[in-house]
Amino acid sequence: MAAHAKRVRPGGLAAAGPAEKALRYALLLLVLALTVSPFLWQLSTSLKSLTEDVYSRTPTFLPEHPTLDNYAQVADAIPVWSYAANSLVVAAIVITGNVIGATMAGYALARLRFRGAKLLLGLFLATLVLPGEVTIVSQYVTVRSLGLADTLLGVALPGAIAMLNVLLMRTAFAAIPQEMDEAAVIDGATAWQRLRHIGLPNVRGMLSVITIFTFIGAWDDFLWPLIVLTDPDHYTLTVGLQYLNGTFTSNPRLIAAGTMISFVPIVVVFAALQRYFFRGVEEGAIKG
Amino acid sequence: MRRYWSGLGLAAVLAAAGCGLGDTGQPAAAPGATATGEVKGKVSLQTWALKPKFTDYMQKVIDSFEKKYPGVEVEWLDQPGEGYSDKVLSQAAGGSLPDVTNLPPEFALPLVKQGLLLDVAQADPAVKDEYVPGGLSAYTYPGVQGVYGYPWYLNTDVNYWNSELMAENGLDAKKPPASFDELVAQARTLKEKSGGKVYLMSRKPELGDFVQAGVKLMSDDGKSFTFNTPEAAALLDKYRDAFKDGLLPRDVLTDTYAGNAKLFNEGTVAWTTGGGNYITSLAVDNPSLAPKVVPSPAFGTPPLYVQGLSVSAKSKNTPAALALARWVTNAENQAAFAHLVAIFPSTKASADDPFFSKSDGTNAGDAKVMAFAALAKAKMLEPVALTEAMKKIVKQQFALAISGEVTSKEALDKAVAKCDELLQN
Repeated sequence: MAAHAKRVRPGGLAAAGPAEKALRYALLLLVLALTVSPFLWQLSTSLKSLTEDVYSRTPTFLPEHPTLDNYAQVADAIPVWSYAANSLVVAAIVITGNVIGATMAGYALARLRFRGAKLLLGLFLATLVLPGEVTIVSQYVTVRSLGLADTLLGVALPGAIAMLNVLLMRTAFAAIPQEMDEAAVIDGATAWQRLRHIGLPNVRGMLSVITIFTFIGAWDDFLWPLIVLTDPDHYTLTVGLQYLNGTFTSNPRLIAAGTMISFVPIVVVFAALQRYFFRGVEEGAIKG
Repeated sequence: MRRYWSGLGLAAVLAAAGCGLGDTGQPAAAPGATATGEVKGKVSLQTWALKPKFTDYMQKVIDSFEKKYPGVEVEWLDQPGEGYSDKVLSQAAGGSLPDVTNLPPEFALPLVKQGLLLDVAQADPAVKDEYVPGGLSAYTYPGVQGVYGYPWYLNTDVNYWNSELMAENGLDAKKPPASFDELVAQARTLKEKSGGKVYLMSRKPELGDFVQAGVKLMSDDGKSFTFNTPEAAALLDKYRDAFKDGLLPRDVLTDTYAGNAKLFNEGTVAWTTGGGNYITSLAVDNPSLAPKVVPSPAFGTPPLYVQGLSVSAKSKNTPAALALARWVTNAENQAAFAHLVAIFPSTKASADDPFFSKSDGTNAGDAKVMAFAALAKAKMLEPVALTEAMKKIVKQQFALAISGEVTSKEALDKAVAKCDELLQN
């Protein structure tokens, strides 16, 4: 982004007339309002006190009597911290698996020549066609027979290397000019050395994209952990938060507060990685 | 779509698991061979979304059970509300169904078909005398012999009216409509007085409404649907006319429609139906609206909602499982539960309890008494064989008929044909 903004290109944002500019901003603001308002509504609901109406004809975004009670009540009703810790364990395993596994598999598919490479790639692609829900029971039976039912490892394992991430890494590695690899081969570099010194420095952006998406995916997953886990002590946060929405009792303020709590870590991870993230999205700019 | 796929996948694997069972020589409707015996050892109980609000109550029930039968140990699991059907199906497929499981009748049906649940009427013949017939019939399925769950708590619907909205627009919530035709007439008044800003009706007809109109939904053998009758078409026609006259919100026909309870909470709609505890939960959501709500009895035959406890046919400790299911659903424990929340016991012995027939004078108390009175004639309106996929087809065809794109007769014929097709599979 930064590189583009410095050069004023004809037809770019700077070339627009004031009217067109205003229109663009109006449209941008409209889309912003559409995407952000449900979130803001949740936030304001989580801050509303028990005497205020939650539902109204025109949604109200400013609580009349703002209170943090709902957050305290969530912490009272369910063990938020231990659920969050469980979620973190799952996310850590899944991220580690994806970052290491997808990197190595992606590099092998993009840069190494071996028998059946094309077939392997085809098989990877084929598994993407099946929706995860179709295989969920066979997955459960497998995890059960491995003795991993009701464990966090059982929750994390099936997602530990996502095929889509392997493909993304393969694309990222394939974008590095072949000549750089060839030069390294002539210098006598092994495959591991080429991966470390030529491959990895050029795919940091993609790795951060994978980290963020994997984190969000693992953190938000509901159905799979619900099926694998039985003991409430092992629940992840998304499953545990469902206790706020019980039979006969569902206080929308508590549910909103729980949602906000589970949202915070995603913001933290994104904030920490966003520098690389945007580089990753527009990857292809090879330095060197 | 995601849910649809997962349901399909689970059903397929469950069918496979069922076949496996069949091979080992276990008959489809498993008898309670080991029903008698000493009550001791470990037994697991699974409930649906009762924690944390009812943790104390359940723990008390379990503790008293363990006290009554020394040597028995109950392992209690409470599953979150969302995704419960998927959870139960995967437990069944993985062979880890708890000994006693809280299953509403429609969740129990696929398990009954695979012979995974115990016929409690055979194992414990006294159930027929102790529980209300409506509760028992909910766990009796066409084409299968036996009763597959102890009825637990019951509920039904009551009409709720927003007295403020009605008074502003020339209606009296004290004299609410008592039939569908009166409802349409009052909806017209409300629409005219409010200039179309407020609605009375905000619900598409469902199959349950056909039952009110005297339509039989399914054949007696449970093998085909029969709701494509002239009476049903006439009811759809009435809805179509009401929709054309703007008596219902325009988006009521779409899938994004928020639902009449939500519109009622927002104050856009002056009528909704809900269980006996609706006002109590509304007081949490919208405290300023709750006091303005006036309840009245449901139109025609009130719907019956049943929860029950089923016993796994593969339980390793059937005597304890049966004793536990019976203990949790006994009159005393159900009455204690009903004092905590507006639900109603399924035991005959509870019918004379004055707690249910006397209002405390609040509108929530009135609603509870009305719901309790309605239970005597309440029935399960929709057959349990009606799956989500069938409901979707029915919904789509009704929407087409009400919007006037096809005639009511065509829509009904098509819905029946498609549902029959799904039923055969």
